[in-house]
Amino acid sequence: MSDITVTLLLVAALFLILGSGVWIGLALSGVAWVGMQLFSSRPAGDAMAVTIWGSASSWTLTALPLFIWMGEILFRTRLSQDMFRGLAPWMQRLPGRLLHTNVVGCAIFAAVSGSSAATCATIGKMSLPELAKRGYPTMMSIGSLAGAGTLGLLIPPSIIMIVYGVTADVSISQLFIGGVIPGIVLALLFSGYIAGWALLNPGQVPPRDPPMSFAQKLHESRNLIPVVLLIAAVLGSIYAGIATATEAAGVGVLGSLVISAVQGSMNWRTFKESLMGGTRLYCMIALILAGASFLTLSMGYIGLPRHLAEWIATLGLTKFQLILALTAFYALLGCFLDGISMVVLTMGVIMPTVQKAGIDPLWFGIFIVVVVEMAQVTPPVGFNLFVLQGMTKREIGTIARAAFPFFLLMVVMVLVLYVFPALVTFLPQQMRS
Amino acid sequence: MRRTLDALYDGCAALAAIFMIVLLVMVLLSITSRELGFNVPGVDIYAGYMMAAAGFLAMAHTLKKGEHIRVTLLLGALRGGARRGLEIWALCAAALLALLSAFYSTKLAWQSYAFHDISTGNDGTPLWIPQLSMALGAIVLAIAFVDELVLELRGQRVEPVSEEAMHNE
Repeated sequence: MSDITVTLLLVAALFLILGSGVWIGLALSGVAWVGMQLFSSRPAGDAMAVTIWGSASSWTLTALPLFIWMGEILFRTRLSQDMFRGLAPWMQRLPGRLLHTNVVGCAIFAAVSGSSAATCATIGKMSLPELAKRGYPTMMSIGSLAGAGTLGLLIPPSIIMIVYGVTADVSISQLFIGGVIPGIVLALLFSGYIAGWALLNPGQVPPRDPPMSFAQKLHESRNLIPVVLLIAAVLGSIYAGIATATEAAGVGVLGSLVISAVQGSMNWRTFKESLMGGTRLYCMIALILAGASFLTLSMGYIGLPRHLAEWIATLGLTKFQLILALTAFYALLGCFLDGISMVVLTMGVIMPTVQKAGIDPLWFGIFIVVVVEMAQVTPPVGFNLFVLQGMTKREIGTIARAAFPFFLLMVVMVLVLYVFPALVTFLPQQMRS
Repeated sequence: MRRTLDALYDGCAALAAIFMIVLLVMVLLSITSRELGFNVPGVDIYAGYMMAAAGFLAMAHTLKKGEHIRVTLLLGALRGGARRGLEIWALCAAALLALLSAFYSTKLAWQSYAFHDISTGNDGTPLWIPQLSMALGAIVLAIAFVDELVLELRGQRVEPVSEEAMHNE
């Protein structure tokens, strides 16, 4: 059987099984099983067990459950209220006023959370009611929150970066540090868009809150101290080379337990809820990772990634065309799949192509994260849309429309990254030297 | 029967949560041991085992809470008999795959035991001990899928709607 037939057969089988509602992790291992039985001589079952055990117990992955748990703890603290109170006084003078609390709040929370949907939910829990009370246009508050929530992935710590780092064998610490500047740039793009919109539609921005003295503003900002300390402990220790990503995650869990204890939001119930919530969320991802590791092995046996890399090489695409094609491909995939499945599903196949084209795996990791961010706000499957649907009780189509300008800004971000790759590579290089 | 099964899922999940805490302790131990200059051999490898145990043992409980993700685009669009048919197909396929992985995970742990497989890291653990968590987790997950399938066939299955699922990613 020719390679093309094999490929088409497997891809068709995969989409059929996924589309029919089989749980994603199991669907992946099912296709891997079929592929291995049909096209290789190695017994599939034993290979499956060994591979899954190897990936599920690897040391590099241990940062993942810990960062997830940390996010679950912080979600149950008063952090979002504190951040709104600390940030709001400083945003009054900007065009667009409190809409910026969405962007800045998400950017700061992203630096302690590895997840886009959790960032969106945590910040929105406070900002959406406050913005609505003051009469800000709903479409803008929802859109900016949906967009800025995705910063949770780009600004470290980041679940998707850990997953990428493990599957593509790139240093997680380097990825984390590499995401810092692009994250800030993307936040600036979001804020710039809000400011531009506010200048063009001055009638839609409600009046500012009563002014505060500088001292009062500073006093309100004391609420930001715990989160800033936590960011310093987690990212600072990685950047200074004191801790690996995993160890920073351990420190992060400890720090967030301390914060919630000091705030008085820690009791047996919230502790248990955060622990069980974190365990389940990790377990959900672990099932996908297990299936994906087996699928990667199976495809390696069939030789699919190598053939694909060779085939794409014969097309003679320039680097720019390749990136453009991949952006379109992932944007399309992102309409139907969640980010983690997208990454683990494609990485084994795409990575050889990317390396053959001479693209830096570190840069590509950040590129993938931005593309996955887009997937968070594209209907019909987009986790940030689901979160906002739950919070606002509005149609998913409406929310997607509100988020669309921010989707376009992320496309702009991909171009910016392509033109200025140093945005990604500068800090990691500093760290190495 | 119902209560025994639910207790099985929840009991395994409680074990998983304990392993999660031990994972945290392992990681903190590895930091302090380096800072204070004493050596705990294989602490990073143990952290890996803890993570595996936390993940596998919570599988069934996570399924029952409706937090394992799946593509529900088509399922959501269908109604009545067609929907039920597709749901039964998905449960059958999932149960079959879960049974396969339960069988081979158990076989792996058994072979590690029979051939005295020792971890290649500096922890020197007999591998069958940590691999038991994978075997047990996979078996309980398979039981949970068969349980769901039987409930669906009897028309008693209640699909959990999870509040938590929205923290995904």
